[in-house]
Amino acid sequence: MEFFKKTLDPVIALMAIAVLDIFLFLIVGAWTVGGGETMMTGLIAEVFMGDDLKRLPFWNLVFVPDAGYWKIYISLGMLFGAFVGAKLSNEFYLRFPRRMSEWLMITIGGLLMGVGIRLAFVCNVSTFFGLTPEMNLGGYLAISGIVAGAWVGSFIYKKILEG
Amino acid sequence: MSVVGECIVAFIFGSVVGLLVQRSRFCNTAALRDAMLFSTYRNTKALLVAMMILTFGFTLFITFGEGKTMHFDVGLNTFAGLFIFGVGMVLAGACTVSTWVKAGEGNIGAVWALIFTFVGMFLFSLVWSANYWPPAPVSMTGEPNLEALQLGYANAATLQEKFGIPAIVFGLMQVAVLYAIYRAILRKEAIQAGHHRDVAKSHEAAAAE
Repeated sequence: MEFFKKTLDPVIALMAIAVLDIFLFLIVGAWTVGGGETMMTGLIAEVFMGDDLKRLPFWNLVFVPDAGYWKIYISLGMLFGAFVGAKLSNEFYLRFPRRMSEWLMITIGGLLMGVGIRLAFVCNVSTFFGLTPEMNLGGYLAISGIVAGAWVGSFIYKKILEG
Repeated sequence: MSVVGECIVAFIFGSVVGLLVQRSRFCNTAALRDAMLFSTYRNTKALLVAMMILTFGFTLFITFGEGKTMHFDVGLNTFAGLFIFGVGMVLAGACTVSTWVKAGEGNIGAVWALIFTFVGMFLFSLVWSANYWPPAPVSMTGEPNLEALQLGYANAATLQEKFGIPAIVFGLMQVAVLYAIYRAILRKEAIQAGHHRDVAKSHEAAAAE
């Protein structure tokens, strides 16, 4: 099939996603990822800690672990959809970061993303595809934050690449 | 809608998004990083177009009281959190979407980033549990609470309520701003293309001599 041979224009892909997101907004709520990831974190922590987790107010007041939280399934769907797309296009293969510095950057980057999502209560997806289109005040704060952060991040990234 | 129904809708939505993002190689991180580092706007343009469509759609339905808007207060923590996130996503080379999509393509680096996003979230939950600040339920009352650095809650629906002007009017204003940014990018690309043509011509001329 042609769809799995050529690269799709991202503008077309994002237009389709935007229209679907409007339907999602009407049915359950706008697209977000951070919330689902937090719930997964809680569920994983529950496996390791059992009832001890409930003693932490965060997992008792803000995110009570619940496998029926719909946002979890958006993330799992993305994993599944991407796997299907990659398999059908013969683009699936295991890739490992080669250098130690890459592993280190990814580790620090991942940690910062996790901390940032929880401090802000939003991720980049809800910023661009939820809050700002709803004209929520938080959207503008979040966009200013992410643009400033990406600028600083790019600066560090460039330094590391050059060094 | 039942819980199972919501989860099924979410999974179908996610699957289509995963497929489209994989096929188009769209990346949110690249939308910001490439524009800043390399002055290339392939992903930035897509992001802007999606935001224009979403703003129009969301505010249109909000005008009629439809749609499920996100309800939570914002404050300086929103800015600070996304700042930290922005640095992190550029270093990790992937955001919340691309970590899942790249993981689906077999990228172990993305899986690693995902694992550490979970670790980061858990570490933050420990800190939050110790001091409950800043996005604590007591400080999130919907009203500005400057002591807790909280600015309250406002969106297109509250604007409509307060000013009696339909939310879509505000939405169209935002679409116009996004379109202006989009046009500026197109102009910049046209200048870049012109520059590339000039360079190619001078190379040709040099080769001919």
